[in-house]
Amino acid sequence: MKRKGAFLLLMMMVTVLLSSCWSKKELTDLAFVSAMGVDKTKGGSYHLTLQIINPGNVAGGIQGGGGAQSPPVTIYSASGDNIVEASRRASSRISRRLYYAHANLIVIGERMAREDGVNPLMDALDRDPEFRNTSTMVIANHSTAADLVKALTPVDKIPANKVMKTLEFTQRKWGETVKVSLQDVMNGLQSPGGEAVVSGFRLVGNPQKAQKLDNLQESAPAATLRASGLAVLRKGKLIDWLYGGTARGTVWILDEIQGTDINIDWDGKKEAIAYQTVRQKTSVSAQVKNGQPHISVHARVEGDIGEMEVPVDITNPKVITKIEQALRKEIKKELQKAVEHAQKDKADIFGFGEVVHRTRSNQWKKLEPEWSNLYFPKLNVDITVEAYVRRAGLRNKSFLSGIKENQK
Amino acid sequence: MEKAKISASQLFILMVLFELGSALLVPLAMGAKQDAWLAILLGMGCSFVLLLVYYRLYSYYPDLLPTEYVQNILGKVMGTVLAFVYLLYFMYDAARVLRDFGEMLLTFAYPDTPLFIANALLMLVIIYTVRKGIEVIARSGELFFIFMYVLAVTGFILIVSSGLIDVTKLQPVLEEGMLPVLKVVFTQTMYFPFAEAIVFTMILPYLNNPEKAKVTMLCATGLSGINLVITMLINISVLGVNLTARSQFPLLSTVQSIQVADFLERLDVFFMLALIICGFFKVSVLFYAAVIGTANLFKIKSPSRLAYPMGLIILFLSVTIASNFQEHLHEGLKIAPVVLNIPLYAIIPPLLLLVAFLKNRKKQRG
Repeated sequence: MKRKGAFLLLMMMVTVLLSSCWSKKELTDLAFVSAMGVDKTKGGSYHLTLQIINPGNVAGGIQGGGGAQSPPVTIYSASGDNIVEASRRASSRISRRLYYAHANLIVIGERMAREDGVNPLMDALDRDPEFRNTSTMVIANHSTAADLVKALTPVDKIPANKVMKTLEFTQRKWGETVKVSLQDVMNGLQSPGGEAVVSGFRLVGNPQKAQKLDNLQESAPAATLRASGLAVLRKGKLIDWLYGGTARGTVWILDEIQGTDINIDWDGKKEAIAYQTVRQKTSVSAQVKNGQPHISVHARVEGDIGEMEVPVDITNPKVITKIEQALRKEIKKELQKAVEHAQKDKADIFGFGEVVHRTRSNQWKKLEPEWSNLYFPKLNVDITVEAYVRRAGLRNKSFLSGIKENQK
Repeated sequence: MEKAKISASQLFILMVLFELGSALLVPLAMGAKQDAWLAILLGMGCSFVLLLVYYRLYSYYPDLLPTEYVQNILGKVMGTVLAFVYLLYFMYDAARVLRDFGEMLLTFAYPDTPLFIANALLMLVIIYTVRKGIEVIARSGELFFIFMYVLAVTGFILIVSSGLIDVTKLQPVLEEGMLPVLKVVFTQTMYFPFAEAIVFTMILPYLNNPEKAKVTMLCATGLSGINLVITMLINISVLGVNLTARSQFPLLSTVQSIQVADFLERLDVFFMLALIICGFFKVSVLFYAAVIGTANLFKIKSPSRLAYPMGLIILFLSVTIASNFQEHLHEGLKIAPVVLNIPLYAIIPPLLLLVAFLKNRKKQRG
């Protein structure tokens, strides 16, 4: 009986030990970093801007009645000769331990991306056990990372979430941006030419205003954040921005597009029919003939008709076929534009080189040293597009067809 | 030898857990780049030959521990020395695995904890288990084996359903030809983790059904080999070759990239559980072999009394074995295969078998 009692006591003591408070991190001692901005100072050191969540103000609600309100995030910044130093130095300004496990967004300032490139700062992020490789990376378009990180946003109170959700839904609905993780960027930068694409984000309006809560109290805030452009990185450095159709074509060839809208001309009216894509798949294959590489890009799209601004009789399958043909041309034009632009930049952002490497590894050895300078810019890219119209919403003939018939 | 019996299925489970062990966690066979899976598969195939050698030795002396039958084969003095070398090796290997385990925990979860504490906590449990004997190790193995596979299957489904797998990352196959693959096979994968199962010769005499020994050994190695191949295929197709090779623990990075439906993510605990289960069984088996062998060699009546002193030795060895993780890995991947693995796994056992064969033939004739 005594023995049993002693055993019980021992077990109870063990449970105390097992709760293991060695590396404990109390919730009230943590400063959750939601986004991190990296800029370069004039002196050449890194300038870190940390967006830290104010837990009470996220849950409390800005619309909640009266009183002095404070923003959902607080910004701290610090400089240092490397990322770790800057991050550790920042702790002299913050009452809590910086906690990076929830840092889902990395913003890189445009100047830094252009002059130094993103390569030097990757290792700190890659190596740290707290930091996630799945974090999203964006490049500040025409502004510093600090301005972007400091901006407050409506609807999604935490600005980092707003940026990520914007990228995600834009990729799904419009397709000019692509949400890339650190891991994706690193994979791209490690390819022979070191090319990658990263989405750009821009602060529209006055940066000073964007930091104030007053900005959010307007129905149309004077300063907002907006996804803008696709940054082309070569050897880790920002060399060009892609916009509009070129950006969309690029995302398309990368097979990252998840939905968009294509307009075609009809009956002499410009952009008369809107086509919403539902499903798309792009495949890239490579051939090498007589030492010359050829790339074939094949895109397949399925979608619905979303809008017709001219009376079109789509009950007739032949008309649908004509629409499909027009779509093919339109899409092909966009993809071609993207390829030409990349060739002008000498940046193989599509990973065509990797495709040759994968499927024609014998010939790749000969092509590799001159790929970026010689082969890629003159590459023969054969683009084929298959586009299908599957459905047309709730109506067949347009409302305009009715008008046309009745008002002859 | 203690009076204990384990069944063929228990042996199978122990072997699978042992061979998955630390091999599941490290960038295995990365010298072969994207063909790592092939190197593992071929390594498994080649290790079958060694396993058959170990089995033949066992079948000559089915009731004796290797520490005893090497004395029969080589004579008293030589046999004792050789047995002692093997015992030292088992202890060294146990210390290595314990160190691996501690370093991994510290690197990614407990940066502020001293290595000694992490190792000591695991070692205490292992000492306790080994004191209880092989039957207890085998039974706990059965429990954790099921648990491991539930984890593995869940992890696999989550990885596939989050759309991370990109098979093109495995291409081009055999970019540099067969040579780098074969080099990795003969310097690494054949021995670590497959031929490492030589430690099971110390456990085979406990098998209640000796005729099943051969099938069990081969099947267990086959299953763990296939599991390792699948793991490496997934690692590379999720992370790419570069990142896999750069990762200290590729499986951790793979598990970290799981993001299903915006809420099933950060499943690091999967990796942690696999790590602890595998670490536990690998150290336990090696340590048990060392304890039982020492007791046998030095004629100590109750082996369990050796568990505490030898456990402490392993614990201290694991901390002092290398001054940093990089040195530890260098010893494990570059030095140990040449100095220890090749002689102890691939040279000495076949020679022993040759002598045993000649001796037995003489006996039969005489």
